[in-house]
Amino acid sequence: MATVSNWIDHLNKPAEDVAGAIYPGVGSEGILVLILAVIWIGWTVVSSKQESDKLSKLARRRPSSNAWKSNITDG
Amino acid sequence: MTDELGALTTIFTEFYYWITVVLMFLIHVGFCMYEVGASRYKHHQHTLMKNTMLIPLVTVTWFLFGWWIYWAFPTGPGLAPSIMNESAALITDDSAFSAKWYLPNSELMAVNLGDHISGVFWAAFLLFSWTAASIVSGAVIERITTFAFGILAIAIGSVFWSIDAAWGWHFDGWMLKILGYHDAYASGVIHAVAGGFALGVLAVLGPRIGKFSSSGEPRNIGPRNPWLVTIGLFLIYTGFWGFYAACNIPIYDLGPEYGMEGVTYFTATTIYVTPTTLSGITMNFLMSLSGGLLAGYVVSKGDPFWTYSSGLAGIICASAGNDLYHPIQSLIIGMIGVVIAYKMHYWVERRFKIDDAVGAVAVHGYAGFAGLVICGFVLNGYPSSGYSVGAMWDGTTYAAINPLGMFIGAIIMFFVLGMIPGYIIARVLNGIGKLRIPREVELAGLDYQIMEEAKEDERTVASSSS
Repeated sequence: MATVSNWIDHLNKPAEDVAGAIYPGVGSEGILVLILAVIWIGWTVVSSKQESDKLSKLARRRPSSNAWKSNITDG
Repeated sequence: MTDELGALTTIFTEFYYWITVVLMFLIHVGFCMYEVGASRYKHHQHTLMKNTMLIPLVTVTWFLFGWWIYWAFPTGPGLAPSIMNESAALITDDSAFSAKWYLPNSELMAVNLGDHISGVFWAAFLLFSWTAASIVSGAVIERITTFAFGILAIAIGSVFWSIDAAWGWHFDGWMLKILGYHDAYASGVIHAVAGGFALGVLAVLGPRIGKFSSSGEPRNIGPRNPWLVTIGLFLIYTGFWGFYAACNIPIYDLGPEYGMEGVTYFTATTIYVTPTTLSGITMNFLMSLSGGLLAGYVVSKGDPFWTYSSGLAGIICASAGNDLYHPIQSLIIGMIGVVIAYKMHYWVERRFKIDDAVGAVAVHGYAGFAGLVICGFVLNGYPSSGYSVGAMWDGTTYAAINPLGMFIGAIIMFFVLGMIPGYIIARVLNGIGKLRIPREVELAGLDYQIMEEAKEDERTVASSSS
């Protein structure tokens, strides 16, 4: 995975070789982007479902518009 | 980097943008405080959470496609050829500022010893994206679902503002060439577009329960915590300093950039690579803030919420031309913008029953729109770019700044890229039943369950003896 294993060797290379990516796994960017897209879409689906469930559960209970006042904590 | 002067310039520029990013984070902190202060107690935590979650959502999508859009779309596509490759297609070739380098799988989108600037520049623009989404966030509090807001935040933060920035903020943007558009500190490209987007969403979302009487008379649901609102707005002012600095290029040699043989001229420039000074824009920032506060205090008869918001509206209105205005011009323009924003807010509220909970459409949308139009008159005849000067509608050269071009630009920002997309996306979300929370939850409060659980925890702790 390591792109650089020795900084002295690396910085001794010609300037055009030094100037470049140094993160682990250079060349695997496409897979990383795919993983990010899956995380983003997956999060959206899961969080949307969680929110819908929570809202419909609360809506079914029908608390009055002043009921929240009895839930104020003392601090 | 092998020569000292080049290294110093690069590292200075890198650090300069990094500082602006940190400062601009205060805009988001300010928006969070402001919105919580403006919302009612039973919705506080949800309001904060909604605005917090736009951070990861806009960031991820800005990484995936928002940044690419900015670099790909300056030509329209199809409206004016690029000065880099003379093509009117999307800029995805091998030229220096091509979108190709800003695809999410590009090696420049990471730690790269050959590029010290792209990352901080990406971050500065990302903070603009958060701001655009945050502007919408305040308008829709207490009744929108987090899911819908997330979709809308991505739309404005990673798509539509990015397109408008490519069109009207990029040095190669078609709006500069065809219209002579000029918007140095984003009256339009951030504020008018986000304000317009918010208005489009509000038209579908509807008002908070109780906002209007049965006869249609608006009721005031004022801020519940004036101190949070005040500190929030002061933090937004503070972050705006960083925003202004981030809109500049800190040091640039314009001689070779403009193709002038043997001329060396180092200066700070606007985003359009036209000369300005950080010193001068700082004066204009403060004078337009002051103009906004002065006008807001009078027009609202000393109402704190509107006075503080008017400071922001004053800056926003003068921002389009604050790279060139005289400070007194900035002050006067700020004052004009505030009067327009305030009057428009209440007219639209009464006429169309629009419930803009924090006045976001007014402060950002109407003030931004007015600022663009005013800029067209005050800066009439100035070049919109340093690369060339040409006629309006030509497209191959850059038109001079003019009233008609700026008015059309304001329409594009507020309506074409703001209000219409906001309305359409909100309609789709509403159509699938995902836009608005259930009525019962809105009445009970979005925090009802969290508060109930906290109370239960408190009872448990209070009744324990050990």
